[in-house]
Amino acid sequence: MSTDEGFVDRLRENDVFKWVASRTLVPLWARWTPVKRLPGGPHPSFKQGDNVQCMMNLIMPLKIKSPIGRAEAAKAIAENKDAIFAGLNNVGTVHFARFVIVGDNICMFSVYDGDFTNYIRDFIATIGGVFNAVVELVEGGDDVIPCEEKVEAFIQWVHERDLYQVPDTITDFLRDQEELNGDRAVSPVNDDLTLLPRKMVLQLRANPNVSLGSGYRAYPGFSVAQVRKQLGLGW
Amino acid sequence: MFDLAELQGNILRGYTKKPHVRYLILEVADPIAARRWLADSVSGRNGVPQITSGDWGENKPETCFNIGLTYEGLRALGTPSASLKMFPNEFVEGMTARAWKLGDVGPSAPETWPKPFNEPKRIHLIATIYAKRVDQLNDVQERAVADKKKAWTLLDTREGCSFPDKRDRDRVHFGYLDNITQPRFEGVPDSQRHPDRQPKAPLGTVLLGHKTNLEGLMWQVPQPEALGHNGTFNAFRVLEQDVEGFEKYLDWAASELLEHPQVDELLPPGAEEKIGQVLPIEGRRGALREIVAANLCGRWRDGTPLALSADAPDPEVDLTDFDYGRDSRCPYGAHIRRCNPRGGQIVQRIANNSRRLVRRGVPYGPRYDRTSARVLDEPERGLLGNFIGASLGAQFEAMSYDWLNLGLQDPRITGSNDPISGANDPDTGWFDLPLKSGTMIRLQGLPRFVRTRGGAYTFLPSLSAIRFLGSQMM
Repeated sequence: MSTDEGFVDRLRENDVFKWVASRTLVPLWARWTPVKRLPGGPHPSFKQGDNVQCMMNLIMPLKIKSPIGRAEAAKAIAENKDAIFAGLNNVGTVHFARFVIVGDNICMFSVYDGDFTNYIRDFIATIGGVFNAVVELVEGGDDVIPCEEKVEAFIQWVHERDLYQVPDTITDFLRDQEELNGDRAVSPVNDDLTLLPRKMVLQLRANPNVSLGSGYRAYPGFSVAQVRKQLGLGW
Repeated sequence: MFDLAELQGNILRGYTKKPHVRYLILEVADPIAARRWLADSVSGRNGVPQITSGDWGENKPETCFNIGLTYEGLRALGTPSASLKMFPNEFVEGMTARAWKLGDVGPSAPETWPKPFNEPKRIHLIATIYAKRVDQLNDVQERAVADKKKAWTLLDTREGCSFPDKRDRDRVHFGYLDNITQPRFEGVPDSQRHPDRQPKAPLGTVLLGHKTNLEGLMWQVPQPEALGHNGTFNAFRVLEQDVEGFEKYLDWAASELLEHPQVDELLPPGAEEKIGQVLPIEGRRGALREIVAANLCGRWRDGTPLALSADAPDPEVDLTDFDYGRDSRCPYGAHIRRCNPRGGQIVQRIANNSRRLVRRGVPYGPRYDRTSARVLDEPERGLLGNFIGASLGAQFEAMSYDWLNLGLQDPRITGSNDPISGANDPDTGWFDLPLKSGTMIRLQGLPRFVRTRGGAYTFLPSLSAIRFLGSQMM
């Protein structure tokens, strides 16, 4: 820390201040500057390579918040293992899918190619029963199953539970806020980069669970079929 | 079996004998008067043009008249919010909000669209008039927006006309024969002009409330039943076509190919004669131009599918009785194969035949003449297109995003855009010309030939729905 910073500047390093600010200052800020929840999923992009290997991060709170509820979720996945593999094979655009239980949430993380709605719709058409088995254990899930008969509502429900992907750069973070808030956010005040920590704090209040970045790849984006073809696995 | 008289006629009929088409783009001026206008349109009372249904009975109508409503239009009419909530997201958000899914970026971005498409929320109803003559268009327009009714504000019009020569009636500005094939539907009398190897599409491909192509899946039907059932959605698009740019690209590509070491595999010496028997060409370079044009589209400009005749156009082969088998010589990235891969191998195995659309298009603007002296600014020309399907998301958008502009369906084209209608850029655009030996010649520098200049998502209500929307007690 540079020595010419004043007392106020140094406050942000102080644990007691952070504790007090979280309970007093942040709620006040949030009342003065209401912040909308940012939508989940990857940011729309038209750049080649950006629209393959996209991340979906679903956090779904279980209805039964106990070891029994968690065991039910584990059972639902285990019972449908074969269907999940069959679905991955037929939908053809999913690289990986993982189910994780964190606290009393069942999380589904996946990496897919192309458009999110096509990916979910194709899965509904292929193994809708698996979605039904999982989503019936989740808060609010009953409204959107059977997913085969409520396709549009189910896709929207999933989209609403997909985590916001916090951009890696300040400009992209501000871009998302501008898109969300419309023209209002273009005013010089809201574009002041020194306000970023405050903006970030308020956004993380509106979106408590987020993905940091959109996943980091060690190589450029390739589709499932490109990988399979290159490895001689058939596609 | 369902009643064709319940449907608007333009869903299952092409109105091919009425070459003049005018779109009236309307805003609700007075909701009560607009609802009365809708009620009158069902039977053509009080001077309002009558909606043309799918059942013409004994008397063919002199002119045809059909309507589509945007979400904003349904709202402006006072449609109950319980019904509005049941419309799919993509329709609620509207075409401009879905721009990146459709490739409407850069020069096609909605921010660049001219009036009236620069104010999408004001576009409430798009009425379409089809007629043999322009004076009939004027007459119907006058009756539709007669001042004394004050139901609508006419924001603007768009007008197109098929090419007059009978031989060219189904041709588009790029010079291809178009309007060759439409989906045939289960339970609907087959009016297809050609045999077709594709399976009949379930009625739910084009009408709400019926079985869809994705087994077990049903699209939500907005309630009450009278509103949603037998309705469908339309993506109306104003697509400017850069014909000069297209022809120049063919010139450039032909010159490149003439110098290419594998050119004789693409066009064996002397083979240009066979091409010249069907298409007007000049020498070997002219033949190569047509080979490139055919490969970009998947059809020779006379309509011959490459899937059936890859070396030269052949007036004897069938225009649509084909599939894309493993030995097909139609390029994986050709326009017609990208839009509809038929039964060919694709990555999304369940998606074959699931994204089919009814397409209704008419050219606008003057015809391009390659031989005439160049003027500095070519006049705007293009296509007024309608892409009709029961789910905009599962059909039009799915096709546009994953297939036209990403090439996800086949790893050999992933990362490229549709060569004719895609959002290409000369710095990155490419297209692979397949050779008999199984190798490819890659054409680089593919520019954008089609630029979106407007459009809207509309709901095409059934006749019952128009009655429902027209009821003052709605």
